[in-house]
Amino acid sequence: MVHALRKPVIYILIASLLSLGSPALVQAEIIGTLAGLESAQRSSDLAKLSSVLARDEAREKMRALGVDETQLEARLAGLTDSELRGLAERVDELPAGAGVVEVVGIVFIVLLILEAVGVIDIFKKFP
Amino acid sequence: MHDRLARAAFVLWAIAALGGCAALPPDLDAAATAHLPARVELAQVPFYPQQEYQCGPAALATVLTAAGAPTTSEQLVDSVFLPGRRGSLQVELLAAARMRERVPYVLPERLTAILEQIAAGRPVLVMQNLGITIAPLWHFAVVVGYDLDAGELILRSGTTQRLTMSTRRFVRAWDRAQRWAFVALAPDEAPADPDRDRYLAAIAAMESIGKLDAAASAYARASQIWPDSAWPRLGLANIAYARQDLHAAEQGYRAALALDGGNVVAHNNLAQILLTRGCRSQARRHALRAAELAAGTSLAPAVAATLREIESPAGSGVAVPQCEPAASTSTPSAPRA
Repeated sequence: MVHALRKPVIYILIASLLSLGSPALVQAEIIGTLAGLESAQRSSDLAKLSSVLARDEAREKMRALGVDETQLEARLAGLTDSELRGLAERVDELPAGAGVVEVVGIVFIVLLILEAVGVIDIFKKFP
Repeated sequence: MHDRLARAAFVLWAIAALGGCAALPPDLDAAATAHLPARVELAQVPFYPQQEYQCGPAALATVLTAAGAPTTSEQLVDSVFLPGRRGSLQVELLAAARMRERVPYVLPERLTAILEQIAAGRPVLVMQNLGITIAPLWHFAVVVGYDLDAGELILRSGTTQRLTMSTRRFVRAWDRAQRWAFVALAPDEAPADPDRDRYLAAIAAMESIGKLDAAASAYARASQIWPDSAWPRLGLANIAYARQDLHAAEQGYRAALALDGGNVVAHNNLAQILLTRGCRSQARRHALRAAELAAGTSLAPAVAATLREIESPAGSGVAVPQCEPAASTSTPSAPRA
């Protein structure tokens, strides 16, 4: 009984895998210079995310990080496909230059840690 | 007893971490700097003091204004400040420069690369990590001068108009930010001592976002610098294609192929044009060559799409294609615009 079902199931699986693998979605068009250069510079770096998906994903991420709706498209417009992909995939890991203002905060945290471990005890002097 | 040991270990670790990296790379020995003036300061570079966490807009306004695209840091806040991160991302600085028709050229990771740009009159936007690796404090500043004898750099940084910093300290903080630095270039000016791949990628990025005029004059500059490289010709041809000047595009692709017969993109794109003109068999020849060259690379799907279009019976068929004379011979070097 189970055995009889095996063949058709396998065929269906193979068919669905084949349809997944076919690059039928790629439109025939000219290749941009940047895509050519990037392909020549990095060997066989097959893009995981299509550029349309990457742009959508990046838009969501930037919106979530507080970019004004009226600025959103103009900001994305200056980014290349691989930069969009970078934002889409790991915007939270990218360093964000903030500047020297935060030094005060960092020093405070370091002091707090030193205090907690017991290396210093300046805070106990201000009850 | 154990407690004391643990404390001692912690203090030692903290000192080591705060001390930063070990030895300096041998960046600035006499040989590496022999071609540079001993002291340069670009005193005329404007200063935009940073507000709040906005060193990104301030540093970017500085280099854009110096590159002839006057901007204020207030105007750039909406383009590069990311509220959720209370800072600015590197790629957004590049993007904002592109949107203002300035080519952002990311420098090779050598200190001398910064000094060379300054000696050529261009301020350099740099990223630094002023904190430590485990507690980073990312900062953007602009290097506007250096003094080799004193071992100092001069920066516009944060709220300080003229910050002098020892080269040693600068490099330590710059190292922790993966030595990231760029200059903003007017489209028709090349950086000092350009690295070909980096500069071409910077121009191609302009092309890819549709800043075609800027990209075209930068490619023209690049093809003067590297007359033997196929890429500037290819870039110009792609721009011609985007402007629907298929005749100029075809000539450009052929010129690129004359310089580099193994250029996948030129083969593929020429095939596209030939197909539009109805020259199916010639298109097929170039597409097959492109497919051979693109095997296993990220361009393979695009080339496969071209081939499929050529093979599909429903393809556009021009009634009497005039292929043979014009297309089969290689470029009969027509006067180029």
